[in-house]
Parts: sequence; structure tokens; C-alpha cells
Amino acid sequence: MCDIFAISAGYNHTPKKYLPIFAEKGKQNMNGWGIGFFRDDQAFMEKSEEQVFSKEQVHESFQRLARVIDSRIIISHINCPKSGGRHTDHRHPFKLSFLDHSWLFAQVGVVKSIEKYRTTEKPGLTADVYTARIFEFLRDQMVLLHNQNPYISLYMALRISIQKLVSDYPGEYSFFLANESVLFAFCNYRQLMLFKESQSMGDILLITSIKEGLSQSKWQQIVPDPQSLGELLVIAGPDVLYAGDV
Amino acid sequence: MCDLFALSANKDFSAPKSLPIFAAKAKKNMDGWGIGYFKKQDALVEKSAKRVFVSGYVHDSFRKLARVVKSRIIICHVRFRTSGPVDDCHAHPFVLRFGGHDWIFAHNGKAPAIESYKSNNPPLEEAVSDSARAFEYLRDHLLRYYRNTTQLPTLFQALCQSTERMVEEYPGEYNYLLSNGRSLFAFTNHRQFMFLKGSKKLEGALLLTTLARGLSNEKWIRIAKATNRKGTLMAVSGTDIILKQSL
Repeated sequence: MCDIFAISAGYNHTPKKYLPIFAEKGKQNMNGWGIGFFRDDQAFMEKSEEQVFSKEQVHESFQRLARVIDSRIIISHINCPKSGGRHTDHRHPFKLSFLDHSWLFAQVGVVKSIEKYRTTEKPGLTADVYTARIFEFLRDQMVLLHNQNPYISLYMALRISIQKLVSDYPGEYSFFLANESVLFAFCNYRQLMLFKESQSMGDILLITSIKEGLSQSKWQQIVPDPQSLGELLVIAGPDVLYAGDV
Repeated sequence: MCDLFALSANKDFSAPKSLPIFAAKAKKNMDGWGIGYFKKQDALVEKSAKRVFVSGYVHDSFRKLARVVKSRIIICHVRFRTSGPVDDCHAHPFVLRFGGHDWIFAHNGKAPAIESYKSNNPPLEEAVSDSARAFEYLRDHLLRYYRNTTQLPTLFQALCQSTERMVEEYPGEYNYLLSNGRSLFAFTNHRQFMFLKGSKKLEGALLLTTLARGLSNEKWIRIAKATNRKGTLMAVSGTDIILKQSL
């Protein structure tokens, strides 16, 4: 099973501590990795089809990136074979521009039924993997809702889009969707683990699908209510602004 | 009646166009002005008890600050005194430090009932207005929420609860702006907030104001309290309204 990890901070952050821990904890995922971040409001991605961890070492490029990336929001994904695709371009995160923002998307879970989805918007993602179709579907729905009501809140637009996604294409979803200032986290099957680096309202927030978290500290478990379509979190800086059922 | 202005963006912005227009359009407010912003984690405020607009001109310091202040979030207030004396201390915005960081708060409206509120935490220095007590009230309830919650603490939901309780316990007119430097929260239960994103004439950030016609002849959108509700609370991050909830 793939794993995802995100950091959200109030100010630019260099993930030299937690990204390597994430790589090591997710080392059973041997099918590549990706790191997404923001610079000057634009999303950037660095990806590889090589193993993130081998011979007791975190991949050299992964380590170096962890030391130099400087961004308020950072998203990383390590691939298992279930993600599909063999090329670097098939690795997560993916990037799309819409609603005046550059967005990053990474997901774990299996949703085969969405492979046949064809986007109505441009550009499309060239990667022939179902995660790309999920991202396009969410983009298409959010743009549609925004066109109907330009001042709909982003949360409401995403929530309605997820409701339609899960209804039209039932499956297992845990994903991160972020622009340069806000991170959305959704899960409807696996737990997400969440931790604030410092006490009180804290300085950075960490969230991952790794079930034991990334440290010995007490991580908060986010488990979707089985009676709901899933749990959606809204994160800005190190603050969880909102958490609720979809 | 006082008036409020805020700018929110993904990166540091100045407001050399919209702030002077705001001051000129809000010139009936004769009792002071203030501009709050963030420099890294620190909340900074420049304020004055003088008129923001005199003899056809925006106050010189105000104009200069409008050109120079640069921040992801800028909050401005022009004052028409309804509570507390006219002096620098009572001009908004106010700053309090709690929960590990600085917060900026500015308020517009009349809420005399809350003047009697006594905080168990450090008070806002020497300020005796309803706005100062409202800020302390929200601070106290946010801290209590974070201390007592057994679930995942969520800031917007905490602020919804705190604001709803404040309006119930101390009824009054509240339009407030509150920011921790990362997110901007805007609450209204009287008049309105006018929003504009991507202005071609002013700054291209998200702009909001209590002035009914906005600050330009562009398409400003009005958000106000829904009928039979206590008010509307919004969370803004970058250039977007992220969350909006009727209380």
C-alpha cells in the first residue's frame, strides 16, 4: 500500500527532519517516490521511479531535497505497485492549475472504476493512472461549482465534489489536495495520523497515512465515520481550521 | 459607525491603492485609525487618534504607511467612537499574544453589554471599550476550547463556538476581523462585508470592507448575516474564502 505525507507550516519550512523518517517508515513501498512543494505560488514536483529506501539508506536525492526544499506546504508520496504506471511521470504528486492557483494532489487507495473518466477541462494529465483521473474529476467539479457561484467557499466546493466523486466512483480514497496556502486532507478508508510539532497551536503540522505516525509523540488518529462518506480536514498553516464528515 | 478593511494574499502585499480609497470613503469616522500587519510571526500595529481624512486629504502618515506596509494580511480600522475615550490606545486594531502566536483584532459595531466582561487572563492594556472586551472574550474562549477539547481541535469550529456564545451572552452589533497571520477570520451580524478578488483597479489580492459599495466600481460581492441567524463567520486563507458558516 502506498503512503502519503504532508507538512503545513505558517512560514516556509525545510523538511529535513520528517521527510527522511517518512521515507524510512514507508520503505516497503518500492515503486518510486515524489515530493511536491510551492515556490512563488507555483507548484513544483520532483519524482523518481527508484526505491525511496534501499541498503539501509534513504534515497540520496530524496535526502538532498529534504534539506533544501523551503515551502509552507510540502506533500510527499511513496508508491506501491498498486498505484499503476512504471514511469516517473506516473508518480504522485500531480500538478494542475485551476481557480487561480497551482494545485498538488497525491492519493492512496484503489479506485479502478474511475479509469474511464474523461475530463471536460483543459489541460488534462497525460499520466494513464487512476489517481490522475481522480484529480481531474475533482478539478472539473470545483471549476463547475465555482462558475456557478464564484464566491463559494473552497471547502464547500471540494466537499460537494467529493460527494459526487464517491457517489459516481465508489472506492478507497485517502488524498491530499493543496494550493500554496491551504491543504485539504480526505480519507474514507485508511486512517490519517496528525501531529503538531510544538505545543498549543504550534508551528508546523504533520499528517500522514503511516499508521504509527513518524515519531514517538502522541499522534492524533483521524478515522472516517463508517456511516459517512469520509472525513475532510481543512488545514491552513499549522492550524486545523475544520474537520468534519463529507 | 467605524469601518473595517482587510487584504489577504498568498504573499506579502502592500495596499497603496485601496487603503487611501478606504480612508477617503470612510472619512466620516473622525476618531482615529489603525493599520495592523504581520512581519514574520510578529503582529505590528500603527495607529492614531487623529482624523484619517482632513481638508480633502488622507492623513499623511496613513498614506505613507499604505505604501510601505507589506504583509500577507493587512487589517485596517477607522474609528467612530461609540465606546471608550478617543486616544491612540483605543484606536484599533488591537494585538494579543496567546496560543503561541500574535493575533490582530479590529471591530466595528456597538456592543455595550460586553463592557462588563472581566477576563481572567491578562487584559488589553488600559483599553476600556467594548471592542477590547470582545477580543479578550474570544481569546479566553479559544484558550479554554484548546485546553478542554478531547477531540481534534479545529480553529474555525472553536471560533464559531466562541463567537456564537459571545453574541448570546452579550448581545450587540459585531463585525470583527481576527487574524493570526496565517488565516483571516471575518464575522458579521450587522451591516455587511463586501469582498473583491482579483481587482483590475486595486490590488489583486482578496479585499474586504464593511463599506456598502466597496472601494471601486468593480463587482464586489456582499456577504451578510442570514435571516434568523446570529451571524456569518468566514475563514480566509490566501486569496480565497475557505470556510463560511452561518451561526
